[in-house]
Formats: sequence, structure tokens, C-alpha cells
Amino acid sequence: MRKLLGVVAIAAVFPLSAMAAGENNIGNCGWGSKLFDGQSGIAPQVLAVTTNGTFGNQTFGITSGTSGCTQDGAVRSNWRTALFIDGNKDKLARDMSVGSGEALDSLAHLLGVQQSDRAAFNRATKDNLSQIFASDNAATPEIMAALRQVLSADAQLARYTTAL
Amino acid sequence: MRFLLCVCAALIALPALAAPDAQYLAELSERARELQLAARPEWLKLVHYVPNLGGRGVHGLVDSPGWYNAPEGKTDPQAELEATLASFYSEVAETSERQNPQCLFIARRHWLDAELHFDARRTPQRDCPRYQEWHGALNAARLTLVFASAYLNNPSSMYGHTLLRIDARDQDERTRLLAYTLNFAADTDERNGIIFAVKGLLGGYAGTFSILPYYLKVREYSDMENRDLWEYELALKPEELERVLEHAWELLSAYFQYFFFDENCSYHLLGLLQVARPDLELTAPFRWWALPSDTVRAVARVPGLVARTVYRPANATIIRARLKNLTPEERSIAKNLSRGDTSSRGDAAVLETSYDYVNYRRATGRHDVADPARLARDLLVARSRLDAPSQAPAIDPGPSPDQGHGSARASLGAGRRGGQGFQELELRPSYHDVLDADAGYVRGAQIQFFDTAMRHYDDGATRLERFLPADILSLAPRDDFFQSRSWRLSGGWRRSFLADGTERLVPGLDGGMGAAWGGQRGIVYAFGEAGARMHHELEHGYDLGVGGRVGALFDPAPRWRVHVHASGLDYFAGERDSPRSVAIEQRLALGRDSALRFELGRNREADRRFTSGSLSLQLYF
Repeated sequence: MRKLLGVVAIAAVFPLSAMAAGENNIGNCGWGSKLFDGQSGIAPQVLAVTTNGTFGNQTFGITSGTSGCTQDGAVRSNWRTALFIDGNKDKLARDMSVGSGEALDSLAHLLGVQQSDRAAFNRATKDNLSQIFASDNAATPEIMAALRQVLSADAQLARYTTAL
Repeated sequence: MRFLLCVCAALIALPALAAPDAQYLAELSERARELQLAARPEWLKLVHYVPNLGGRGVHGLVDSPGWYNAPEGKTDPQAELEATLASFYSEVAETSERQNPQCLFIARRHWLDAELHFDARRTPQRDCPRYQEWHGALNAARLTLVFASAYLNNPSSMYGHTLLRIDARDQDERTRLLAYTLNFAADTDERNGIIFAVKGLLGGYAGTFSILPYYLKVREYSDMENRDLWEYELALKPEELERVLEHAWELLSAYFQYFFFDENCSYHLLGLLQVARPDLELTAPFRWWALPSDTVRAVARVPGLVARTVYRPANATIIRARLKNLTPEERSIAKNLSRGDTSSRGDAAVLETSYDYVNYRRATGRHDVADPARLARDLLVARSRLDAPSQAPAIDPGPSPDQGHGSARASLGAGRRGGQGFQELELRPSYHDVLDADAGYVRGAQIQFFDTAMRHYDDGATRLERFLPADILSLAPRDDFFQSRSWRLSGGWRRSFLADGTERLVPGLDGGMGAAWGGQRGIVYAFGEAGARMHHELEHGYDLGVGGRVGALFDPAPRWRVHVHASGLDYFAGERDSPRSVAIEQRLALGRDSALRFELGRNREADRRFTSGSLSLQLYF
């Protein structure tokens, strides 16, 4: 009952984001955007349980056991890049816009981009930011497809599309 | 090792041989008894036994029944040890739902094997593919204790939070987001922080360990809640790291009853960490009270345990640092851009600031522009067209949380009130007030619980002066970018003069909402307030009032802080009175854990006017 009330309350607070959550997932995987959308006003902030609750763990089955995308809490290797992008869209877009940053470095690491190609990678993603994030609500598969396109158009970076 | 695996494969192939070897099991149990293994700190830590309160014996803190192999395992370490040995002969095969006890209790198995030297011919040797896969995915090189600083606007996390990060071999400082974290938390979908706090106090939740990528945690703390993170990289030997990982694996399948103050995230993280070394005793001091910042101090105090400390500023901290580097004109352009004013043109620093600020407002739920996601993207696209390196500012974090004062405080003082001398003893178990030195704490965040003062007057009377279960003050300075609200809430028993001329210990609750302005040099604040009291000596048994409070805090010199404040309430219902008070309080830090405090006040209560002053020595521990 308590859970049901919680779900109703959340649905009432973010009707739009709750709907958007499904779209942002990649297949059965995804961290779900509703977990991270802000709440309005001071009252929900004061009342919100954010830190000490593991809200969402049941939803994504990541405490232990198996789900489509994780095994005993560890992300399956074929999902690592997609889930990283899914969980870091804002940070990635920000890093690409300035051509540096830890989210961008982490993505380059996941794609296996060698140190000697990092400058070119950062430059290509900066120059093509508006293509990679084609809209303000670009879904993870769209971002990945666009990134693949940008990299394959670059002779130096084309070989890194295999991990996308 | 290869030989063992071959033997193991042979044993699995021949089920008849794998049947429990009763005689060998009896031998092992006998040897374990001789060696008194069940009383060893390693065993007690692995099963999470703690001494019973005020009596003989121990009990296990883990509450999931599957944790114990013996029916009486929760209270009998010896029986549990023998039943664990017996469980290693289990025929259960591993599936995605269940594991063989040799894998489920992999840390116990390896410790018992090291102590008893299992005869590989007489003990089945199980492979643990799920553990191996998990272990491989973590690819652990190091552990880092992460402290998320206090989040005052949330009763369930006002003390901060700790989690353990597993740093992988192929990562460096630039790719740390990809690490996994081990997090202990109450398993709940409860979104109401007050219900959470109450149920948490009473042990109403199950607490479990879970594994999540660090990037989700950074997003939660740095971006959503604007809490700075401190990362304490631990210097563990490879075999110590392995022990922690094996034990973490065991704990992922277990649960503890969650208690907000003692059996919380920080306590159980220490419980996990101390299996690294037999001589590491981290949890004992925190059996009844584990504040995250205290547990960080305990870890930092172990010689050589912390290799280095890394600071990760929250989004709001970065925005404040960015704003310091902008001219007033650039500042207003950044503000206009963040409001969607497309006529403004900004350089790289201005665009980055306005983007961060749009994101800050999205994260904190201030929906004051029509389409913040679109605006954010437009700002980033505009920034990507400028050929300039990142303008992210360098931030001096100041002292780390482990360098702050102890969170409990005892004070001994003497003073005079209305011509009469007194001595006072005060004990404040937790945690920080606005006069205490800020180093390692969040500035302007006062959280005091169970502040208690006894006073002895020269005329012979000794009495309880005050008992305040909760006394919270949040001063968050506001400016053109941060429209923070400040508030105060205080509840408990205070000595007060009543209309009938007596001075009584009156229970009451008062608080206020308002605003604060200022910065590093000082803070001024103003609150509208309300209060209510109940006492049988009050006319009608209660009173109810409204009023206000103003104050200022500033540091004339590095060790010296002054707090002046004035307040008044008008009780309009119940017993009528209009108490007023003005006071100046000063603190002079003598060292990290000692200070002198001088207080001078003028009060009016029930038409009595009196002046009081006191000087006290405060010790933190």
C-alpha cells in the first residue's frame, strides 16, 4: 500500500517525466530519467528521500541477481557504453561543448579511443555537438547512432565505431 | 591450484565421493574448537557478531535468515562455524537464483580454509562462476571511501553519507565515473523524508548493500543535491582488498534491520571495511551512534590507511566559483542567457556559467523558463561554436571533513545572571552549531541534538537549565543567482519565567523561515517566527506566539567568531507575554578540539528584565 501511495504521489508530481522514462530506456535497460528529475518547491525537497533510500533498485534489479542489463549489480559488458551514455547525457553534452571533461574521457575510454586520438575525438564531438544531440530530448539509441555517424565520417576515428 | 581444480572436477563427476565425509567434517570441527576459531575477531567480523548489551554472549547484526547456517547461528558463533563447515558439502548447484554455500559464503570459506587447511581430497571444491564474473567486471585495484557532505534540507541525510567506491585497474582520475560503488541503504520506495526518518529511527526498514556505477551516485549527489564529495583513497594490500570484495559479495545477499543513528550506512561500511585486516577495529566506537563524518575521521586516523584525498565539487559550488571570476556585467549577461534571453551574447566563461545555472535550476525543481531542456541545449551548441578551452575554475576546497572538530561537545562554564553567580555543565552529543569552527563542516548549517545543560546557582539550587532534543538552523545566503531559503527549528525544554513569578522548565517548539545574505566574511539573517509552549503553570496551560529574529555572524579574526542576535515573540493565545532577547556570543578557537565561548545577553520574560553573562571552556570529542 505504501509503495502504491508512493507511486501515485510520484506520478502526480512528475506526470510528464514518468511518461518520458519509458522512451529514454534502451530496450529493457536504462536508468530511467524520472529518478533524476528535480522536484518543485521547498516542501518536496525537505520531504524527499534521496540519499539513504535505494529507490529504483527493485525497478532495475541491480541489488543482486540478474536482469537483462546487469548481473549481480555489474553492468553486462555489451551494455556498458549504452548505459553510461544513458546515465550521463547532460554531462556528455556539456563536456563535448567545451572539448574536455571526465564524462567525455570516460566515453572515449569505453570506446577504446587511444591517447593519440583523444584530441581528434574531442574535437570531432565538439564540432558536431548539435548533430550528436540532435534535439533536447534525444534518446540514447539516437545519440549513439549520431555519434557513430560522426566518428565514421572521420578517417582517424572511424575504427572506434565498433564499440557503439 | 590447477591440481585442486582437477580434483574438484573429479569429485563433481563422482557424486558418491562428494557426499558429506562425516568423519572428516567431525575432524575439522574438532580442530576448529581446539583453535577456538569461533572466538577469533576474523570470525566475529565475518558473521557480524557484536557483544550483547550488558551481558555475556554475542548476537549477529544480520537479520536475513539465510545468513546463518545453524538454527541458533545468530547467537552462537561456534554452532554457526560448524554448520558453515557442514554447508560446504552441500550439493546445491549454482543458478542465477541460488548459490552453493561455498560461493555464498566465499569469504568464510577462504578464511576457514586458511586456518584449517581443508584436505582437497576430502572436501568438495566448488567453482563460483557468478562470483568470478562479478569479480572480473569490477576489476578492482583499490577501494575509496566517499563522503557526501551534509544535505541540510533533508532530515534523512543532514549528517552526510558514506559509500565505498571500487576503483578498477584500467581507470584513472579522469575516468573515475566508470567505477562501481558499494552502497548500504534502507530498502524503501518511501519518498517522504519525515516518515523515512521516523521509521529509520525505529528500525522499520531492511538495509541492504547494493552495487551501482559511480556516475549515478555523482549525478545524485553533485548534480541533483549539490553536495560536495570527498574521496578518501585507501591504501590496502591486494590480499586485504580481496577479503573486502569476497565479504561484499556475501553481504549483497543479506539484509540488516536499518537504524538511522547506529546501524546505518556508515556503520555497516566500516563493518565491511574492517574485514580487510584482523587488527582493524573500526566499528566498536560506533555501536550506538555512527555519524558519517565521525566514521570518516576514524578511518583517517588509522595510520597509513588513507593514501590520498580527492575533492569533487558539487554543481552549485562550481557555479559560485565561476561567478567569482565574472565581472558584474558578465554576471548579468549570464543571468539573462539562463533566462532564455536570446538577444544576449556571451563569451565562453559566461555561456558555461549560464548552462550550469540552467541545469542547477532544473535539478532543484525551479521551473522558471518555458523549456529548460531546449535552452540548455541551445547554450551548449552556442558554446561548442567558440574555440576556447574549458573555463572551469580551480576550487580551493578548504579543510577536508576528517579535519573538522569532534562532533560531540562538553562545556564547563561560569557566569552571572541578575546578580547571582552560577556554574554550568553542558553536553551536546551532536553535532555542530553556527559558532563552532566551520572547517570540515558545511558553513551556516547548525544541527544539534539532545543539547543538555545543568546549572548550579550560588544560592544552592542545582537544576536542568535546558534539554533540547533538536535545534536546527540553516543559514543559506541568497544572491541574484541563488534564492535559497533559511530556516530554524528548535524543540525541547527551556527554563523560562512565567506570569505567576516562578521559573519553570517549559516544553515548547519554535521555528522560523526567512533569508540570509552574505558570504565568506559574514552572514546576516532575518526570520519570521512562531512558537508554542505547554505547561500546567501557564495560564490555560499553553501559549502560542508569533514574532521574529534578526542576527549577524562574522569573523573579526581567523579563530574568532561573533554572533549577535535579537528576537522577540508575542504570545497572543493562552498565557499572554512578549519575551524579548538580545545577545552577543563569541567563540575563540584554542585548537581543533577546544574553544572558549563568551556570552552576554539581556532578556525580558514575564515583565522581568535581567542581564546574564558567562564564560565557558568547550571541548570537542
